[in-house]
Amino acid sequence: MSVIEAQHLTKSYGSRRGVIDVNLNVEPGEIFGFLGPNGAGKSTTIRMLTGFLRASSGNVKIFGQDCWANSDTIKREVGYVAGDVRLYPWLTTNRAFKIVSEIRGKDIEERGRQLADRFRLECDLPVRKMSRGNRQKVALVLALAHDPKLVVLDEPTSGLDPLMQDTLAECLREMAEAGNTVFFSSHTLNEVETLCDRVAIVRNGSIVVDDRIQNLKAVAPRTVTLVFESEENAANVEWPDFVDVKRRYKNECILEIEGTAIELTTWANQQAITDITISPPSLDALFRGYYETKKELV
Amino acid sequence: MRGLLRKIFYEVRVPTLLFGIGLAIIMTLLTALLPKVLGDIDKLFGSIPFIKPLLSTMLGVDPGEAFTGQLMQAFLWVHPTVLAIIWAHELMYCSRVPAAEIDRGSVDFLLGLPVSRWKLYVAETIGWMVTGLIILGFGFTGHAIASKTMEPDMLPTPFATFSVICNLYCVYLAVGSITLMFSAMSDRRGRAIGVVFGLLVFSFLVNFLSQPLPVMTEESDIGEKVAAITKPDEKLEETPIWEPAKNVAFLSVMEYYRPAFIIESQTFPKRNIGILLTVTIICWTIGGIIFRRRSICTV
Repeated sequence: MSVIEAQHLTKSYGSRRGVIDVNLNVEPGEIFGFLGPNGAGKSTTIRMLTGFLRASSGNVKIFGQDCWANSDTIKREVGYVAGDVRLYPWLTTNRAFKIVSEIRGKDIEERGRQLADRFRLECDLPVRKMSRGNRQKVALVLALAHDPKLVVLDEPTSGLDPLMQDTLAECLREMAEAGNTVFFSSHTLNEVETLCDRVAIVRNGSIVVDDRIQNLKAVAPRTVTLVFESEENAANVEWPDFVDVKRRYKNECILEIEGTAIELTTWANQQAITDITISPPSLDALFRGYYETKKELV
Repeated sequence: MRGLLRKIFYEVRVPTLLFGIGLAIIMTLLTALLPKVLGDIDKLFGSIPFIKPLLSTMLGVDPGEAFTGQLMQAFLWVHPTVLAIIWAHELMYCSRVPAAEIDRGSVDFLLGLPVSRWKLYVAETIGWMVTGLIILGFGFTGHAIASKTMEPDMLPTPFATFSVICNLYCVYLAVGSITLMFSAMSDRRGRAIGVVFGLLVFSFLVNFLSQPLPVMTEESDIGEKVAAITKPDEKLEETPIWEPAKNVAFLSVMEYYRPAFIIESQTFPKRNIGILLTVTIICWTIGGIIFRRRSICTV
């Protein structure tokens, strides 16, 4: 059974578009990246998953239960961090442990303190005296402390320094290894690329691609630099169809290829080339393509 | 539920304590000082024509010419400062969930926990009812302390005091339930408070405008009119300040809070309490249903 299952999920705010016909399946143990530019519909989708918003049409289930009707039951096994974390000014992490333990009916204090140590969080400091990053840490600790089967994180690294981003990634990997599921929304490609197994890209309220990172890397463009023996060779070369020449400077040509470099190296062997540099697949370029154009992957 | 109540406790303990202490001080001062102005009240009625309807508005009965010490004690429970403190507290409290939670974005944390909206609404209701009792308890304590310095014949009976407090608590419940209802509809705390504040002002105004004001018949000459202000006679007729207000006076919450009548008649205000509790139940239920069914968006 899928942990998250959304079918034809649509939300509209009157004339404003929210999300349109979103289909999602997130499997147990997966770290699922939900990527898209600002205003693409990531938070709206997450708010339907967490029972804050009622879908205009379609349905969404977590652990096989309807996210709107059974929101409180589902959340026993879910940890959630909102996009813009706002907490009560009087709240300290210690008080939060007590309150959340009583609400969840499960003592989270011990595990919470371990996480607070990892995130270097002062447990006695009230939220009103905390920086944005520390507030984010409190929310993360509280979302992870009850060992949830599913964590839904809406842009969780905003406000965290790079070290804490690494700590969070480490915690999430440990969770996934233990068989739990992570739903990770972001507009930053790098963190999704390094952390997630699978990614869906949402643009203008619709999902334009949903695939494993490895598969996407296979079709992602690579930048290739070819150095010819002479400027004349570089100018007169007949380019094959699978390369896209970006620019030429004297005897040096910069090109882009999609997929593996085997075809290119075979072709390059027959040319008057003195040097060749092939960069790793650039998901960044691929994702920019999805963000900016109407390109869609079937 | 315990966790939610703990959260409410952390959140409202300081403001509730401050409001309570404020009310206790005001009640102590009013209880001690009001009898001292009793002797001059007739002059006040004579010199300012609108003062009598204003007092009638607050007391719920026409004080007539004889303003007794006991009636003066009724004025304690309708004094604008007392009502302002009580209502300010409940506007603050009852607009917290969900309006203020959505307004500041903390609802994401709260409803991200495994708690149903009904459960949250019920927990808030318990807190609201308990803090209301605490606030009124402080007020009563202040009144009781100052009462020890007064002549026994100036004091209302314990039954009358109890009945007035019950009536005031029901007013508190009715106003609070209306605030909860508007809070459930709103994403902005200020909007919810503004609407209820407007309704309270309307309530006061309608009640004031529906009070009888002595006016002269056409036969009265100028001399009689002048004399009538200080010495009313048979030629005076009592008509509402604004006739249409009489028709909508039933919408005013003050219509169902008559402490002077309770103190004078020594009767428990069953009818008024019944109406106020009915309003409370209806508004509370509507608020709960709206909160349960609405989408919550903080972005």
